[in-house]
Amino acid sequence: MKGSDNQEKLVYQIIEDAGNKGIWSRDIRYKSNLPLTEINKILKNLESKKLIKAVKSVAASKKKVYMLYNLQPDRSVTGGAWYSDQDFESEFVEVLNQQCFKFLQSKAETARESKQNPMIQRNSSFASSHEVWKYICELGISKVELSMEDIETILNTLIYDGKVEMTIIAAKEGTVGSVDGHMKLYRAVNPIIPPTGLVRAPCGLCPVFDDCHEGGEISPSNCIYMTEWLEF
Amino acid sequence: MTQAEIKLCSLLLQEHFGEIVEKIGVHLIRTGSQPLRVIAHDTGTSLDQVKKALCVLVQHNLVSYQVHKRGVVEYEAQCSRVLRMLRYPRYIYTTKTLYSDTGELIVEELLLNGKLTMSAVVKKVADRLTETMEDGKTMDYAEVSNTFVRLADTHFVQRCPSVPTTENSDPGPPPPAPTLVINEKDMYLVPKLSLIGKGKRRRSSDEDAAGEPKAKRPKYTTDNKEPIPDDGIYWQANLDRFHQHFRDQAIVSAVANRMDQTSSEIVRTMLRMSEITTSSSAPFTQPLSSNELEFVGKSGDSGGGMYVINLHKALASLATATLESVVQERFGSRCARIFRLVLQKKHIEQKQVEDFAMIPAKEAKDMLYKMLSENFMSLQEIPKTPDHAPSRTFYLYTVNILSAARMLLHRCYKSIANLIERRQFETKENKRLLEKSQRVEAIIASMQATGAEEAQLQEIEEMITAPERQQLETLKRNVNKLDASEIQVDETIFLLESYIECTMKRQ
Repeated sequence: MKGSDNQEKLVYQIIEDAGNKGIWSRDIRYKSNLPLTEINKILKNLESKKLIKAVKSVAASKKKVYMLYNLQPDRSVTGGAWYSDQDFESEFVEVLNQQCFKFLQSKAETARESKQNPMIQRNSSFASSHEVWKYICELGISKVELSMEDIETILNTLIYDGKVEMTIIAAKEGTVGSVDGHMKLYRAVNPIIPPTGLVRAPCGLCPVFDDCHEGGEISPSNCIYMTEWLEF
Repeated sequence: MTQAEIKLCSLLLQEHFGEIVEKIGVHLIRTGSQPLRVIAHDTGTSLDQVKKALCVLVQHNLVSYQVHKRGVVEYEAQCSRVLRMLRYPRYIYTTKTLYSDTGELIVEELLLNGKLTMSAVVKKVADRLTETMEDGKTMDYAEVSNTFVRLADTHFVQRCPSVPTTENSDPGPPPPAPTLVINEKDMYLVPKLSLIGKGKRRRSSDEDAAGEPKAKRPKYTTDNKEPIPDDGIYWQANLDRFHQHFRDQAIVSAVANRMDQTSSEIVRTMLRMSEITTSSSAPFTQPLSSNELEFVGKSGDSGGGMYVINLHKALASLATATLESVVQERFGSRCARIFRLVLQKKHIEQKQVEDFAMIPAKEAKDMLYKMLSENFMSLQEIPKTPDHAPSRTFYLYTVNILSAARMLLHRCYKSIANLIERRQFETKENKRLLEKSQRVEAIIASMQATGAEEAQLQEIEEMITAPERQQLETLKRNVNKLDASEIQVDETIFLLESYIECTMKRQ
């Protein structure tokens, strides 16, 4: 009896040490050097006593990490604001993406219409990440509280979409929205070239391009994509 | 030369010059440089025909020749030059925008004939323009020659290299032409042709040591009996200069899209000021003065700040934008997001891709693999253990712009070949109809000339029924569409080729 109590205490200690990231059952085994069957019994015991709980990790959906009952799981386990119950909320991300872009676009529009000196136009079409964050919070489309970093990740995806560019400027400590002495500014931009010539021809997008040659079953003379395109 | 390029060259040669020239040309492209007899032997054509074909090719600067040791002359075809033929419409159009109709016709004549003397060009262009003007007015030679001089001033046309005046048995390698232009403003000649040039340069004539027959003289004959004042001074279109112009245009429009109109004007002025002073392949332009941009770097503070346009970077951005656009159209905007992400981060793991791009893991994986299979991306392995076990290795995705550009270029060539083939196919299908309509037109024209009445003309016109007319309309529309498409794909080719050329030079 005493032995198992000690073991329980040991296991409980290990789990407590893991903090809000939780710990995997195999790691518990390594740390305590107890056999697997013992560990499982103890874990079941502790769970029924409502001292610990199991949380599914978002990284590997089969893994379960254990942590103290009353702790809030850390973001890396549950995935943070973008995940709800282990599912990636792609629609939510999309909506935020579009909203941010519209905000930046309208800012650029107003700047352009003001028709002042180009440098001023350019500067006023920038918005800091703090401004965007405030706008999104005011919109109230998010059920979850979003931090400025979250908004910055969304803005980064817009950069990868080629719709937005970012600059970092030095800002004094204490100005609103500055982090470590600099601020990130974002601005909506146009792509630098229109869709290129190759993709305006059917061959540019053809899925069977490699099989196509004169005299074969798929050839320019009987290409159905071309026929459709010509009739357009 | 890749298979696709050879195919494209063969189609172009066939369309512009005919079967025999195509056979010889393609043979030369495939096998490199060869002497005359070997060509005749390998292609099985008679010596006479080979000579004629080579004559045409040399006239159009598509084939060059060299004297090797033992006096054997070998001919070599330039595949890239043949591919330039696709771009002729663009050259002509550019000249039209810059120098109006006169300039356009001058360049058109030069491109159609390969090389011409100035007097011949002026005469032909004047005649053509007179035809289109109202009755009674004629085109003055002076105006045409003025435009010609302006074209020469801005280096759009250049003198062909010519024979050395000293009697030399070997034709030497042609010198670069633009230095010729300085001699321009010298001589004036009667009658009504102001001609220029001092004939100091060597001409590429067809004399060579082995005594190969002189039948390969450039095919140019004149109609008038009087001696041509500037015989021996031939002009050709300077393609490199046109390319420089296109490149500048692309850069300026990119800047206009990214920033605003005024910045693009500034960039345009910078480029124009450096037009003459930089050679077409220099990576930087001469330093000028002021503004801030991506392509512009600061290069010194004299005179209030000297700025330089980083041409290589500009071309790289344009090429990258082309790649991104292709990815976007082919695979979708999410794929484009991943592509740009990998481009920016240079090397990135799969897990990180999901995190940064905010795309669900399954989809992200799918898209990465698709792009990998199409060779837009490549994998870099970094093993953690010496035995390279897959489970213990890092796999990083990366984009190699140069190889992706090459791959895309190859695809462009094949696409254009496909478009040309389709166009020829469409024309062939409707050959009967086309011939019929031509006959009818000829009949109508002759009847109008002899003064026929309205009723008779009507009757003839009705020989072509309405559905046939419809078919003709459709055919014309299709052929135009295919033509336009060829030109558009050629624009992509231009950007990619310039980028590849610029990068190769730096290495």
